[in-house]
Amino acid sequence: MKSNMAIRPHLDRRRWLKLAFAFPATSILSRAVLNAQSEQQSCAPEIPQQHEPSNGGRCPFPIPWLDKNGNHNQPAMPNVELSSIYHFKGKLGRCSGFHGMGTDNKGNRLAWGTGTTDYSYMAGEYWAARQAHDGIFAHT
Amino acid sequence: MFKGPGAPANQIHDFHSPISAEGLYWVAPVPASGLTISPDGKVATLEMSNVPIIDQPRWPAMDAETTPAYLDFKLVFKGREQPVKYEDPTRQYRFEGFTAEAQLEASVRVPSIDFLFKTDPLEESKCDFAGTEVNGKYYST
Repeated sequence: MKSNMAIRPHLDRRRWLKLAFAFPATSILSRAVLNAQSEQQSCAPEIPQQHEPSNGGRCPFPIPWLDKNGNHNQPAMPNVELSSIYHFKGKLGRCSGFHGMGTDNKGNRLAWGTGTTDYSYMAGEYWAARQAHDGIFAHT
Repeated sequence: MFKGPGAPANQIHDFHSPISAEGLYWVAPVPASGLTISPDGKVATLEMSNVPIIDQPRWPAMDAETTPAYLDFKLVFKGREQPVKYEDPTRQYRFEGFTAEAQLEASVRVPSIDFLFKTDPLEESKCDFAGTEVNGKYYST
């Protein structure tokens, strides 16, 4: 039984051209797959090496549904979630819409702030790593 | 921060905290001495110095480069008499407090480009609240 190569021992010019284009495309695809795999690996939680517990990170995390655009930066306004931190209870102050003028070290007058320039504080208890923590945080 | 009128095309700096590994946007821890609340609970002052932040002029572009910067600021909330309560059981949050007025003064430094900026004193903002909130697992407890 003969292979296709044996039947057609000489690749025609069109086939060579196809291969020439296909090779870099395959190479790029391979790199993309490898990159995706390494990104997934870097997102993998650490495996405890000394029998430590595995409860997740103790830093606060964001409101899951806060912003449909995924930027978790919703300006303060009536009837919206004002905290940036999920699983939180405590004191909170939130303000938005700061804007004004200022001066740089070369004497230039510059405008700063927009309708969404906001600051806040959140002081109280939050839940992370399967337990309660006390903390004060500022959104700047 | 803008050179000329405040419009995206004129933006020359954008200062904020980095996004945390957990995905929390632009939030920095505050030392215990950084927040003071008056005995009647009506005035809250948040004051911090040398807060490490980043300058990201091309934010929100995905490849917007960052430059280390530092922020000093003083933020004063003064509660008004108008009580507010916002609650959404479906989203599990409840805020009870007052409308407030807030004033901010701040300065930022970008040492690598020898840039320093200071706001005019105690600029006012527009939409402010102060009070207490519960959300998530604390909502129904």
